[in-house]
Amino acid sequence: MKRLSRPGEGEILLLTASRLLDGRIVWLGEGDHWHESIAEAVRFTYEEAGPALERALAEAEQKEVVAVYEVVARDTRPPEPVTTREAIRAHGPSVHPDFSYDHAPVREKEKVG
Amino acid sequence: MTQPASRSVGHYQYEERDRTFLQERINEFEGQVRRRLSGELSEEEFKPLRLMNGVYLQLHAYMLRVAIPYGVLDSRQLHRLADIAARYDRNYGHFTTRQNIQFNWIALKDVPTILRELAEVDMHAIQTSGNCIRNVTSDEFAGAAKDELMDPRIHAEIVRQWSTLHPEFTFLPRKFKIAISGSPEDRVAARFHDIGLLARPGENGPLFRLFVGGGLGRTPVVGQELFDSVKEEDLIATLEAVLRVYNAFGRRDNLYKARIKILVQTIGLEAFRKAVEEELARMDRAAYRLTSEHVAQIRARFALPDLKAPADAADVLEQHKKADPVFARWVASNTHPHQDEGHICAVISLKTPGAIPGDVTAEQMHGLADLSERHSFGEVRVTHLQNLVFGHVRKDQLHELWQGLKALGLAAPNVGLISDIVSCPGLDYCNLANARSLPLAQKLGARFGDADLQAEIGALSIHMSGCINACGHHHVGNIGLLGVDKRGAETYQILLGGDAGENAAIGGILGPSFAEDEAVDAVARIVEFYLGQRQKGETFAAMLKRCGLKAFKEVAYETV
Repeated sequence: MKRLSRPGEGEILLLTASRLLDGRIVWLGEGDHWHESIAEAVRFTYEEAGPALERALAEAEQKEVVAVYEVVARDTRPPEPVTTREAIRAHGPSVHPDFSYDHAPVREKEKVG
Repeated sequence: MTQPASRSVGHYQYEERDRTFLQERINEFEGQVRRRLSGELSEEEFKPLRLMNGVYLQLHAYMLRVAIPYGVLDSRQLHRLADIAARYDRNYGHFTTRQNIQFNWIALKDVPTILRELAEVDMHAIQTSGNCIRNVTSDEFAGAAKDELMDPRIHAEIVRQWSTLHPEFTFLPRKFKIAISGSPEDRVAARFHDIGLLARPGENGPLFRLFVGGGLGRTPVVGQELFDSVKEEDLIATLEAVLRVYNAFGRRDNLYKARIKILVQTIGLEAFRKAVEEELARMDRAAYRLTSEHVAQIRARFALPDLKAPADAADVLEQHKKADPVFARWVASNTHPHQDEGHICAVISLKTPGAIPGDVTAEQMHGLADLSERHSFGEVRVTHLQNLVFGHVRKDQLHELWQGLKALGLAAPNVGLISDIVSCPGLDYCNLANARSLPLAQKLGARFGDADLQAEIGALSIHMSGCINACGHHHVGNIGLLGVDKRGAETYQILLGGDAGENAAIGGILGPSFAEDEAVDAVARIVEFYLGQRQKGETFAAMLKRCGLKAFKEVAYETV
């Protein structure tokens, strides 16, 4: 199994996946339910994330999700992914604000044109 | 044999057996999707099956890539693509650098239904992914351009039929791309394909110059001439032999060394040619002979346009240009001479400055399909530079077409100019990307969007990729941009001097990568330097050769 990403100071880990039916990005929330909004995601420490990821992978078929992995995020409310890739997954493509998942303001560095 | 319908021209007209085959294939995939959704198939088992049907799991959803053989669509197909965009996507389609179309917001559960709707208009998504022979691409002005030596579409169709579900070549070491042109001007980037074919008429039938081992991606290589003059009757045998050698000796242990270009580089062109010739000698050549009767049968399934135009069509066009300078500017950049004096090829830019390159809305697709029925025999071509072409427009009706395009917001007069930017979807959609390409393409498009400025700069290409896989063909732009992940930050490398045509060249890397806004400014300084220092009539490539990369580098990094 691939080594877990290690969160830095003020950062936590989230678990994410794609929904089997439509590919929609989802986040692991309370009660091992997958949610569309990153705001619903459970925050894990590095130590907690390993067993949680193992469990999520084992249950992926049953829960109808694919491509389960961990994401490093800043421990804010809601949590904010550290990398641009994961921020785009969490919020939607930066070139289409109308496709935004959360209608949250696009971060300054992602503004276009 | 039934005669092809006359309402659409430019592509092969399906026979009933083609339609039966598609239905069988969809039934099969529908069963596979059902078994995946019920949990009977695991993701590991299902992934190669969905890829064989053009379905990728991307950043936000499934992506469906639909094949457009040699880039030719008819109006009913474009209407159907528009319907699919509206019903199953978020109202957009994205034309790619392989002359295909992608839908970025597809649900897996909908794919079988979408495939049925595509099959109703003789379309599919087979071999748009996976380690097989992909969509055969061709010249966007095929069968129309004044400079054409030979219409390449008949042989493109023959290659398509030969390569579709070829039992030996369904699991190649890696994907395999073939392009074919019939013009002395290489408009298909033949030297950057696994196999590039340049067709020309010979005394005893067509001849094909065959390049092998070209490609972009992680290891960009200019293809080498394997054979100068393959006879028509030997075309399929020769392709078969090349593919067999690749299939036997191409590496399967390392994804990054699996393309045919690596094999040709490793063993050398001479050894590769010898292996192909030995394979040809072993083959049952009669079984692979492409007879003139077979070519004629395929040719008969292409409808030809009835090119009738009033005697004064060219004069009317001149009058329209004189009366409307904005139209005249569009004609100067967005048309290409036609074989028939009364007709012209019109290129529809999908690069409105500031917009996403290659994107069209469902409404625009419907509008374009309607315009093609009025002005181009219901035929629309997709270019590998992510634009569209109406191949046969009457000169006296070009102004009317242009007004229709203006109403659709698709009349940007920039084809071949600096804002005609080629770009992959990048990190906004693609799972493989390291950086976003679309925002940068939009910024550059907006920066150089002024029509006067573009006309002053003249022909200059910008190509942009969001990762080393080079779907935006950044190696062959006059100016190439490559998105690079630098410790979590998106940065952009600049390359200069690429050329996809007769003088094929891979752009040289200028130096360390730039942050996004710095990259826009650096490109602006490069362009200013070109404008200030060029000699009369000197192209960007010629000036780069005269001044050298170093001079451009100094300018690009001036204030960084």
